[in-house]
Amino acid sequence: MKKILILISILLVAFSLAACTPKEEQIEITFKQNKPEIDGQLQAFAAAYEAETGVKVNVVSCGGSSCSLGDMLRSDYASGNLPEIFTIDGIEAYNEWAAVISDLSAEKWVADTDVAFKVGGKVVGFPVNVEGWGMAYNADLLEAADIDPATLNNYDAYLAAFEKLEAMKVELGIDSVVSMAAGPGMYWVTGHHNFNSLLSNGLPYGDLSVTNALLAGNVDAARLGEYADWVNLLFKYADKTVLTTGNYDSQVGAFLNQKAVFLHQGNWVDGNLKDATFDMAFAPHGSSKTATDGIFVSAPAWYIVNKDSKNAEAAKDFLEFMVYNQIGQDYMVNKAGMIPAFKNVTIEPTGKLSKSVLTWAKAGKIYSWNQYNFSGEFRDNKLGPIYNQLASEAITVEQFKELITQAFKDNAK
Amino acid sequence: MDKDKRMQKIVFWLFLAPALISFFMVQIIPFVIGFYYSFTDWSATAQITLNFVGLKNYADAFKDTTFLYSTIITSIYTLLNIVLVNVVAFGLALLVTSNIKFRNIYRAGFFLPNVIGGIILGYIWQFIFNRFVPFVAGSWGITYLTENLMLANSRTALLALVIVSTWQYAGYIMMIYVAALQNVPRDLIEAAQVDGATPWQRFKAITIPMVRPAFTVTLFLTLVNSFKQFDVNTSLTGVGPSTMFMGRAINGTELLAMNISNTSLILRNTAMAQAKAIVFFVVLVVFSLLQVYFSKKKEVEL
Repeated sequence: MKKILILISILLVAFSLAACTPKEEQIEITFKQNKPEIDGQLQAFAAAYEAETGVKVNVVSCGGSSCSLGDMLRSDYASGNLPEIFTIDGIEAYNEWAAVISDLSAEKWVADTDVAFKVGGKVVGFPVNVEGWGMAYNADLLEAADIDPATLNNYDAYLAAFEKLEAMKVELGIDSVVSMAAGPGMYWVTGHHNFNSLLSNGLPYGDLSVTNALLAGNVDAARLGEYADWVNLLFKYADKTVLTTGNYDSQVGAFLNQKAVFLHQGNWVDGNLKDATFDMAFAPHGSSKTATDGIFVSAPAWYIVNKDSKNAEAAKDFLEFMVYNQIGQDYMVNKAGMIPAFKNVTIEPTGKLSKSVLTWAKAGKIYSWNQYNFSGEFRDNKLGPIYNQLASEAITVEQFKELITQAFKDNAK
Repeated sequence: MDKDKRMQKIVFWLFLAPALISFFMVQIIPFVIGFYYSFTDWSATAQITLNFVGLKNYADAFKDTTFLYSTIITSIYTLLNIVLVNVVAFGLALLVTSNIKFRNIYRAGFFLPNVIGGIILGYIWQFIFNRFVPFVAGSWGITYLTENLMLANSRTALLALVIVSTWQYAGYIMMIYVAALQNVPRDLIEAAQVDGATPWQRFKAITIPMVRPAFTVTLFLTLVNSFKQFDVNTSLTGVGPSTMFMGRAINGTELLAMNISNTSLILRNTAMAQAKAIVFFVVLVVFSLLQVYFSKKKEVEL
């Protein structure tokens, strides 16, 4: 009896050790990305790729509020299993992984895109897609209120429109004019997206003058003043519950159910708005008194290739296949519903807001995303709480301006 | 005979091995490494050089106002939580050991929240605070509750955390009290009854002293658990509504464990987070030892 017990325990220990031994097999690449909403489509594409080329692609999706790709990569790195391809979302992530990132300047797709991630003249990141945000509006409700969306391009136009809509709340059946979120967990709406209005609205694409001045702690009080009025306007005409405690679902839900005329989000909400029966599009932000003509468009994230992996070449082939093969293009645009970042792709997305982004982009009326020049810590822990204070009416617009100015000064130190 | 004993020993250690190995792998070794890292500029990134920086991380941690704020609100939270959990748990324990009907169903019912994971619980209560309370209050015409949502203000959000963790944890602590109450000798109580002691006197002079050992355990458990609160904090309030502290707007319900995790993941200062974790550990050990020491002194033995 005892001998059997010993045998079992020895076997158990042995098996648990054996499970760690690696096996030899076909070329396999691991692909970790941060958009859980396209996981299924990507898995299907990877399967199709394997059927076509014999290379196995393991797709792992980690993102949203439940999973942090950065943490996952850090533990992968610590255990020596860094994936062949993974997503970076900007300069901060690039700096963290610079030591392992391949130079992709020689790739074929470089000539077909304007939004590749470049560092010091070298192309290092493959643009995942193109995204954009402005003020998404419900065209049907605006028409019912007799407001022409083309006039919405500065603070005064928005103020007039908001006042008019506020007065027609019962008639239109809405809870509030704007669907805005500034509660905990939603600081990416205020501290990332809305904040970018201050940095780039009305400036030429790629102009970092305002950003650099703020990074140095020099605050243009006039520009900040107009911006602060805009933030206050959005908060004032937003539903208080959604504003202070709402999550992504409640914010987008209010717009989908026609309980709000405007939505402060980007074209990624198309997936949530499939059931929408009304027309919608983007209008520029009203963060300045002078009119601005454009929305904020950029590649939100890039795929990079791990140069230390022995399968780095296979990983590059996989990315090229995505751009130039019919299956890859079909996956990017039709299946995943993304706006392609490559000029050779002629298929267009079907989402209404994605189409609007494409319209703005084709007209060249776009402003850049400069918010990632500030650290995640600054946006989430320093700016986010200040917006939240204003949203919960704990501070006035004057105090908001003072706190923001102070935050820039602290940050520059 | 001798061989048999040796065999027994081997079997004993083999059975113990999985637990011991995992304990060493995930507790002891990381703790030692982490202690070492807290004196370096460790960044957990792809640059491997590690420099010894002495006590710099500790100095930075003490200068960090968010760490100070988190320590303050975690202490407040812990204090409120210890009191509320124990009062509620003791009350429930008295209830389910009395002669009321369906007491076993109550016992199971009160314990049930404890089996639900803290993350899920947080999301359920978030729904209750954000949707259900305003809805009910709205239909009753109590506008104060629809306009002042509990999770929209940092002070009431902290209170919401206390409510939820009490709801979650009181049942568990109740079970410890139930066991202790059932061990109070009946003959003592009967003797007191014969001597004409009132129910309150019996409770104060017999029941309370007899369940003191249970207090030592429950106070320890609630103290440690409140201090280490992370899961309900994450799902119910997150970093919380902001608040003003020392002239800056900061996150209002970032308890210590979350502050440490955010120092590492958002501020990307892993070494300082490690130093904070060591400080956290020392504080927790000191408080727990003090609490156990003083609670033990008050225990009586028959």
